[in-house]
Amino acid sequence: MRNRPARRPGLRASVTAYFALGALGLSVCLAVGTYLAARHLLVEQRERTALRQAYTDAALVRDSLLTSRSEVSDVLGSISPPAGVVMYVRRDGAWYSSSLDRPGEVLTETVRPTVESGSVGTAWTDRTEPSAVVVGIPLPAVDAEYYEVAVPEELAATLRTLALALAVCAALTTVGGALVGRSVSKRVVRPLGEVADAAVQVSAGDLGARLRDTDDPDLAVLVGTFNHMVDALHERIERDARFAADVSHELRTPVTTLTTSLSLLQDTPGLGDGAREAVDLMAAELARFRRALEDLLALGRLDAGATESQLVTMDARELARQALVGSGRPASLLVPTPSGGAKPGVPTTVVVDRLQVLRALTNLFDNADLHGGGLSRVEVEGNGDQVELRVLDDGPGVAPDDRRRIFERFARAGGAKAGTGSGLGLSIVARTAANHGGGVWCAQRDEGGAEFVIRLPRVPEEGGAR
Amino acid sequence: MAVMATRVLVLEDDDGLRTSLRLVLQKDGYDVVEAADAERGLELVEDPGVDLMLVDLMLGGVDGFTFIRRARPQTEAPIVVISAREGVEDVVSALEAGADDYVTKPFDVAEVRARLLALLRRPSLSDAGTPAPRQAPGRDVAGGAVTGPGTTTGTTTGPRATGRTEEVFVLDRDEALVLDRGAAQLTRGERTIHLTITEYRLLSVMAENAGRVLSRASLLEHVWDGGFFGDERIVDVHVRRLRKKLEKDPSTPRTLVTVRGLGYRLDTR
Repeated sequence: MRNRPARRPGLRASVTAYFALGALGLSVCLAVGTYLAARHLLVEQRERTALRQAYTDAALVRDSLLTSRSEVSDVLGSISPPAGVVMYVRRDGAWYSSSLDRPGEVLTETVRPTVESGSVGTAWTDRTEPSAVVVGIPLPAVDAEYYEVAVPEELAATLRTLALALAVCAALTTVGGALVGRSVSKRVVRPLGEVADAAVQVSAGDLGARLRDTDDPDLAVLVGTFNHMVDALHERIERDARFAADVSHELRTPVTTLTTSLSLLQDTPGLGDGAREAVDLMAAELARFRRALEDLLALGRLDAGATESQLVTMDARELARQALVGSGRPASLLVPTPSGGAKPGVPTTVVVDRLQVLRALTNLFDNADLHGGGLSRVEVEGNGDQVELRVLDDGPGVAPDDRRRIFERFARAGGAKAGTGSGLGLSIVARTAANHGGGVWCAQRDEGGAEFVIRLPRVPEEGGAR
Repeated sequence: MAVMATRVLVLEDDDGLRTSLRLVLQKDGYDVVEAADAERGLELVEDPGVDLMLVDLMLGGVDGFTFIRRARPQTEAPIVVISAREGVEDVVSALEAGADDYVTKPFDVAEVRARLLALLRRPSLSDAGTPAPRQAPGRDVAGGAVTGPGTTTGTTTGPRATGRTEEVFVLDRDEALVLDRGAAQLTRGERTIHLTITEYRLLSVMAENAGRVLSRASLLEHVWDGGFFGDERIVDVHVRRLRKKLEKDPSTPRTLVTVRGLGYRLDTR
């Protein structure tokens, strides 16, 4: 399977993605910062609470041991610690606890060295789930050490809730950022869309299309430049058209006069052989000059993108038939079955400037007759979203090096200097095909002879089937 | 009785071309009258009258379009435009104005000769009940019908070889609208409706195929010589002109109707 190159995301998608990523980054930073600050505050608070509670409880244990001379276990049993708090007393190496579930020796090992040195110690232990704050207080008056282990389950729940809330906020902010980005990108891209629409109108021949004036200082430059460009284009096309019209009038009439006068001379009886040869030579050269003039003017119109007739939707086979019959050739040269290689029965509907394409086909027929040993057949075939019109001859074919060059203006295959054509016929074919969104090329046939192909976009049948 | 030669008006402001056309046409036996401007041309149309006109469009002063519009009410003589302007809009405008044919410069003399003869071969529609037309050089004025449609194109919109031999087509019984190809005239009751040659050919082909939709392309092919290279808008122009003469209300045609997307159909009643 062929790997397709990755498609570059559009401007709107990119802007939307940048806004979303920006919002995500910002919201994640804020959420993490908020979480860490809140956690730090809550942990400190919890430690202070545990310390206060431990001092109170330790004082109670010390006083009870001093005054009542009771056993440590009795004293611990008489005190009701808050939920989640376990009290430990170590005296004479023995451990006493308010709960039998958790051994004090293990839980208090993080603060025991501090307490044994006579100081109050506070630390966290991860021996419990969740982690617990451990407070150790030396009780020298009763020769004991007091420890209190508080498991802050409410703190863990609070932190979990906070983390969840911050995550949800970050996600919502990201979505919000994407929406804002989408809205902004729409607003940014809208003027470009208007420019594109106007450009399409202009390229379709509507030279009156302009962008509306705007008071937006950022867009005013674009609008002004675009409209100025179209004005200049319009002016140039009009100038070219005027030039073509002037050339048309100034050259066509004298050429017609020469042609008409020469026909009188040709019909004059009694001309000497030399004079008749000279008159025939003049007639031939005049005919060539006339063809060159017509082709130059046709090429000028094609270059200017001017249409010569209404665009019509029609079957390319009918177009080829009309070109054959209209140029005095038998319609039977249009073969009913394509040579093969494509799906049979594919419709061959095209949208064309009929006169332009008829002229292009006639040029190919003339080319086959002049240089290809005669037109042998014409094929029309629909293939995918294209229609191919093939003009085949039985001549020697075109040398590989010349197959592109012959479509250039005044180019002649094999470097021949003179010919009977104007040297513009195939250029007109190429320009016509390009103006229709298609192309043209020349190939060598397996069985000999050349094959000239005009490819035009096919109009898909209704329903989208191909 | 001597037969008068066909008189051709050459209206062309270029002296060289006008002179060369005069020489060629005189050599062919035509009686040629010349004019370098539209005013002189109109005088010649009025007196001594002409049978054919070759008219350039780009004249000094009054242009060729205006000349055709002014000359047309005075004469049904076929007008062949000879012009360096080859835009479809120019062709359509000239035809709208009343021209019958359009030849683009530079042209072959043989082409102009053929077109003139083709126009002269057609019956002169205004001659019903009028003196006989002048004779074209070496050729009789044909009284026959317009050449019938050729082979079918294989589509529903191509004229068919009907084999119909009728010379009289009743287009509308209520209005007594009749095309008589034998007499080469269209009448509404007692009144003769003047048609140009192209209008006559168009109506004749449509009458032969009454009730069938004919596409613009097939009409181009069968009504106009070399019609494949014409623009289909030319058909529309002639249909509009014909409607003005056929229909009581040309804006809502009942006889020569448009079949959207396909072409035109002639409905007889």
